This record gives sequence, structure tokens and C-alpha cells, in this order.
Amino acid sequence: MLSTPRPLVILVLVALLAYALALPFFGGTFALKFASRIMIIGIFVISLDLLIGITGMVSFGHALYFGLGAYSLYFISPESAAANGFLAIPFAILLAGAVALVVGSVAVLTKGFYFIMVTLAFGQMGFSLFFDTKIAGGTDGAYINVRPVFSIGSQQLLNFSNRTAFFYFCLAALVFSYLLLLWLVRTPFGRVLQGIHHNEARMSALGFNTYAYKLAIYVISGAMAGFAGVLFAAIDGYVAPELLGWRESGLAIMMVVLGGAGTIYGPLLGAIVYSMVEETLKSATELTAIFSLVMSGATAKWLGGIVANSWSMALGFFLIAAVLAAPKGIAGFIEKFAGEPKRAKPREIKPPAEHRERAKAMQLEVDNLTRAFGGLVAVDGVTVRFPPNRVHGIIGPNGAGKTTFINVLSGALRPTRGNVRLEREEIGGQKPHNVARRGLGRSYQRTNVILPFTARENCLLAAQAQHPSPFRFSNSWRREEEDEAVANALRAAGIAPDRADIRASNLSHGEQRQLEIAMLIASGAKLLLLDEPLAGMGPEETGRVTALLRELAADHTIVLIEHDMDAIFAAADTLTVLVEGRLLAHGTPEEIRMNAAVREAYLGEWGQEAKP
Amino acid sequence: MDLALIQLLNGMQYGLLIFLAASGLTLVFGIMGVINLSHGSFYMLGAYGALTLVGYTGDVFIALAIGVPLAFAFGIAIEWLFIRHLYDRDHLQQVLLTFALILIFNEAQKLIWGSYPHSVPVPDYLQGGIKISALLSYPYYRVAVAAFCVALALAMMFVIQKTRVGRIIRAGESNREMVEALGIDSRLLFRFVFASGAALAATAGIVAAPLESVYPGIGEPVLIISFVVVVIGGIGSIKGAFVGAILIGVADALGKVYFPAFSSSVVYAVMAAVLIARPGGLFGRAA
Repeated sequence: MLSTPRPLVILVLVALLAYALALPFFGGTFALKFASRIMIIGIFVISLDLLIGITGMVSFGHALYFGLGAYSLYFISPESAAANGFLAIPFAILLAGAVALVVGSVAVLTKGFYFIMVTLAFGQMGFSLFFDTKIAGGTDGAYINVRPVFSIGSQQLLNFSNRTAFFYFCLAALVFSYLLLLWLVRTPFGRVLQGIHHNEARMSALGFNTYAYKLAIYVISGAMAGFAGVLFAAIDGYVAPELLGWRESGLAIMMVVLGGAGTIYGPLLGAIVYSMVEETLKSATELTAIFSLVMSGATAKWLGGIVANSWSMALGFFLIAAVLAAPKGIAGFIEKFAGEPKRAKPREIKPPAEHRERAKAMQLEVDNLTRAFGGLVAVDGVTVRFPPNRVHGIIGPNGAGKTTFINVLSGALRPTRGNVRLEREEIGGQKPHNVARRGLGRSYQRTNVILPFTARENCLLAAQAQHPSPFRFSNSWRREEEDEAVANALRAAGIAPDRADIRASNLSHGEQRQLEIAMLIASGAKLLLLDEPLAGMGPEETGRVTALLRELAADHTIVLIEHDMDAIFAAADTLTVLVEGRLLAHGTPEEIRMNAAVREAYLGEWGQEAKP
Repeated sequence: MDLALIQLLNGMQYGLLIFLAASGLTLVFGIMGVINLSHGSFYMLGAYGALTLVGYTGDVFIALAIGVPLAFAFGIAIEWLFIRHLYDRDHLQQVLLTFALILIFNEAQKLIWGSYPHSVPVPDYLQGGIKISALLSYPYYRVAVAAFCVALALAMMFVIQKTRVGRIIRAGESNREMVEALGIDSRLLFRFVFASGAALAATAGIVAAPLESVYPGIGEPVLIISFVVVVIGGIGSIKGAFVGAILIGVADALGKVYFPAFSSSVVYAVMAAVLIARPGGLFGRAA
């Protein structure tokens, strides 16, 4: 999870802020305008980082909202009078946000490459709307003749025609935007966004409606880009369709990557560096001055002229060099020197009373369940009942349809036919997050935790998922309750206290599997579907986790797939044998061991040897 | 009515041309996993190459015979210089690097050919057209282009269905890791695929050159439309690219007749509709 900025980062940002505060006292008109421009672009790119770096949604159409924000100043400005900033800014934010809601509702359906292309196409759609029609000046763009003023009644508070006032307004807007985003990504809402970035399927299985989260952040980010856009239009009082186009979107991505995606302050530095490099490459005199440091004056002048003449080619090479040499951007260098992030010390949580109440868990009934992939029937008419507070094992040879079976139960796959009932309520065919919110939690065959998060943060996400309103921005609400659930879950799953605040990627394989179980406990799920929880574990770890499962059955129903026969025959209360998608047998371990059909089809040698 | 018919024919022919560009793009992404924003630049270089080569040879088909191998070689060079560093990188960096390539190619185009639009002549033997009514006729050159594109599409289908390279490509479409697991030198395959993609885009640029003027930035609309086609058809699917390209060509042409003010938005509306119904494209795997 994104940590609070390290001291070194704060130092860099404060130095920049001090410089900006002082700039109007010594900088000329050009410097103020150039700096205002960079700060506005800065707001635009950090809003994009919210999508790209934080949530992992690479949007190639973000300029659509920037451009709409800019055009909204044109729409709201009277022909030859000033618009009121108190109206213009909310109007731009609302317009951009509303369009983002419409576009996002379609775009967020897609992922990865499709999302990149769909956002690109919608951006172009907006561009051609302004380019081809005359709604706002067409191809030539449109002029805003008088800059906006902020006034209440006849009282004028701020006038954007005043360069210094405008500059300070932009600076305040940037600082506000940065702090807003920093706060946002650290709320429970932001925590979920970062979880989605690293493992969307897991977040969905925990009970988060990832579509809603992604749409929400898409709208927030679009609205913020609209805010940047309306300020941008006030710089020159001129807007053009190109502001919405894909080049503008591409440049914004460029600055995000150049600065370092996912850090928020990085893209800001990216915007600064990019703008300065561009400005330098455009200027023959500056280039000549730089080149003359290493070559004769005449050669420097000649070369400076050539480079400035083809500055965008030079910029292209600069960007290629940057992406190949520094994939993590400018922020990557700063982080290298800044050291490991400090994490907040967890509060002490007292262990719960030794004897837990034996709580009633949930019952799962499966009735004539079938799932086919085209002609291949992976699960074929399975009917079985899993009573509460028991450990139920599912076994069968490879390709027996065990994982498909679990995937249908958890909602990851829709059943072709048949019913799944949790406590007598039909859940078959429901979305994974809805199934999860009813109290069914699952783990995966391959370890599936949010790797960049600590063990504790992983569990926090899980605890948050089950609350009546996981969609929230308050850090304090329900915090104690969650902390307690998390501490208990970590303890119950046997994760040592000194390992709880280490990134999951640095935990051992066994610990990661335990963490998955801890997440399920923290989530408050009453029925656990575990896909090979013992896979890849040594004998000692296997023993520990088996004991843990037995203990969990006190207040959970557990359904698990397992290949370790010794372990599952020892741990399970009932066993279900699937062969070629069909239910071959269901009963106690002893009954299954004695079952002739099972021995023939599957257990074979093992059954013989294991017999005492 | 005649106008609508001509537009429909133009739409099909435009769709066929877009198919050439989009098929290259879909192969490069489907097999190599690389988002190539500079794909449109190969189209642009094809068009400008046609301008120069027709200047020397006088015939766009001779230009094609010379230009396509050059484009293939150029594709190999670009892959070796830049693209091969991207295979293990995420989409973001691919977008960044290939975007930077656009800046470089556009500047190179300006340095070599200048900023003014040019036109490329239709060969003498294809002047004139088929009479449709007293006032309207359909140019022979457009018919020739359509026929050429269909022939090339059929040839591609043959290569993909019947040859060894085609089998590898089909395997790559459905499972990229599998191809590597089969012990095929993926570096060589990738270089071949990338160069083929570049050659296909350049081919489209060369044959399109006499249809419209050749101008700076000519490749960019082609790039965007190709992406729309790839998304509609489903990533990595040649069949999808074909169906998507014809669909987009026709939608664009009919949009110009029936919704002239919003013609360029029609194709995006079609794309949005397809994605709502099938988020993985018409012939794609689920997204």
C-alpha cells in the first residue's frame, strides 16, 4: 500500500513549493505563465496517476476530460464579459464528471489492452465532435475573450487576468489536489483501489464490487482532469479540439511514466521535467549554450540549430532513453535514496477469551449442478450437501472437475444447469462479490494475496469487504472493530506478530498460504472454499494447517480440494469423490476408503497401502 | 440511392484497406503482446514511400513490389533497435516507447518530404471507371485495390491455415507461452511477425496513396481505426480483424450519408455497442 511520503520526498516537494511561492517576486511574465502551465498540467497528470498508477487502469483518453473542462470555460463565458469562476469551475468539474460517468460505464467493462483502446476511441470521439462540428468553433478552436473573475454579488475577489493572482490560484489548486489524492488513496476506498491494481479477481472474491470501485475512481479522476482543463483554458483564453485528442492523452501518460506511476508526486515531477526538456529542445540558443560546454562554439551553434529544428524527434529519443534506462521514472531514483517506508505501529490487541462460542456456520447444498464448456462437460449433474461446522474434502484425479466445481460455487463461473443454495438461498450464477458478501469465502490453487501489501493490510482489506458499506472514505469509522478482527485472524492463522507488517511478497510460501486463510477469517466468511490449501507445504506446515482447519470448523463450514491424501483423510469429516465431472461417492473417510468403486477408479494402490 | 451505393462500395473498399493495417496490428499484439502505437507510422512511410517510388518508376504497383520488401527490412531494424526491449515490460512502457517512435517518425517525414500534401498518380491503364449511372462511375483503381486486398487476405488465410509458420501463429494467438514451451525461437518469430505487421501497414499505405492525398500525419487516423477494428474483432484474431474492418468501413461510409455531422462518431458507437455485448470482441477470448 502507498505509504506516507518519505522525509526525502517531503523535502523535495517543500523545496519546490518554496520556490513556487517566491517565483512571482523575481520571475517575469513568461516564467509565471510557464510555471502556471506546468502546475495545471501537474493537476491533470496526478489525476491520471489515480487511474494508471493507483488502480492499474491505463486510460488513453484522459485528455477528453481535460479538454471538456477547457471547453466548459468557453461555454460558460459570455461573448465579451467575464465568467464567474464560482460557476465556471463547478461547471467544468460536473461536465467532465458526467461524461466520465457515461463513458466509464462502458469502458470499465473492459480490461487491459481493451481498456486502453476503448478509452482511446472515446477520446477520439470527443475530439471529432469538436473538430467536425461547429458547436465550439470547429477546427480553428475558440477564444475566451475575457478571463474569469471570482465575484460574490458586486464584490470581486479574484481576477484571472492578473497573472500573479492566477499563478497563486493554480499553486493552491495543485497543493489542494495533491493532498486530496494523497488522502484519498490512503482511505479504505483507496486501499481497495490498490488491491484491484494488484489482484482484481481476489478483490472480487473477497466481496468487493470492483466494477463500482473502478467506475467511481474513473469519474473522480475525470472530474479532476476537468478542473485542470478549466484552469488551462484561462492561461491563453484559447481552446482547440486538439486538447481532447489522443496526443494530449499520450503526453499525459508520458509524464506519468517519466515521473514514476503510482507515487502521485512522481507524475508531478514528470510534468516539470518534461516541460523543461521540451522548452529547452525548442530553443536553439539554450541548446547552443549547453552544447558549447563540450564542443567549440561554432559546432555547438550548428548542432543546436539542427536539434531545435527537429525538437520533437529529439524529444522522442529522450523519452525512449528514459523508458529504457529508468522504468520506474524519476520517483524510482528518489525512492532508492529515501529508504524503506515507515509503517504505522499497530495498536496492541488483546487476545480473545480462550473458549470461543461454537457458532453455527453455513450449510451449502448443491443440486444437479452441471457446467459445460462448449461440448466439454466439466461438472456433470452433481448433487451433494455440505452440512455446517464440518470439514468437507473434495478429491478426485486430475481433470475431474474439482476446481471448476469450486469456481461455480464461488460465482467465478456460471452454472450451465442446476442449483447452489447457501442456507437455502440460491446463489448459483451470482457475481463473485455478491456470493462473497453472503458469507462464502474462497482461496485459490495458486497463492492469491495482494503481494505489495503487508499481511496486516491484506487482512484489513478482507475485514473491510464484509462490512455493510465497504465503499467509504473515513479512516476512523469501524477502525477498532477492523483492527481487532485483523489481529485475531492473524493470530488464528498462526502468522507470527513480527511477520504481520512485512510485505506479503517477502513472506515464505507457507506463510502466504496461511495469510490467505487469515484473510478469509478476517472477512468473517462462514463458509470457506479452499483450493489445495496444503499444496507445496512441508510435513510440519501441513500438520499445522490441518490442525488449524480442524479448529476453524468450530465456527466455519470448510469445503476443500486437496491432493495430499494422508492429510485429507485425517482432517475431513466427509469426502466427496469426483471423477470425470460426476459424483462417484460421498461419505465419511472410512466409507470412502472401503468403497470399491472409488478404489478402482482412483485410490487404487494408495488405498491398499494405507490399509492397516 | 446511387450515392448510397457508391458510398457502400467505398466503405467496403476502405474496410479492406483497413483490414491490411489492422491485421498487422492484431498479429503484433496477439502474438508478441506488444501494443504498437507506431503502427500508423508504417502506413505513413508506405504512403510517402509510394510518393517517391512512383516518382522514379511511374507505377504504383512497381512501387509496391519495391516498397514492401523495404518495409519488411525496416520493420526488422525497428524491432531490433527498439521493440525487442519491450517484451518483458508492461503495457505502459510499450505505449510510451512506441508513442515516442511516432514523434521520431513524424519528424523524419517532415525532414525528408516536407509539410505539404502531395498526390500520387493512378496508373494510366487504370484511369476511368465503371459506369453505374449517367452521372456516376466507380473508378477502376478502387476496384483494383479492393481486388488486391481480397487476394492478399485470401493469401494470408492460406498461410495461416496451411503452413508451418501459420500453425505457429495460430498457436500463438491462443496461447503465447505455449509457443515458447514448444521450443520455437520466439525472438525470431517475433521479429518475423513484427516485420510482417510493418509490411502489411506499409502495403496499405502504398496502395492507398493514389486514392487520397499524401500528407503529414496520414497514419494517425489509420492507427486509431485499426485499434477500433482490433477491439471489435478480438485481439489476435485475423478473422475478427477482417469482419471488424468491413463492419467499420461500411458503418463509416453509411454514417457519412445518413449522419454527416457525426460521421466520425459512428464507428466509435459501433465499437461501444460491440463491447457492451461482447467485452472480448466478436472473435476474441473473454477479456
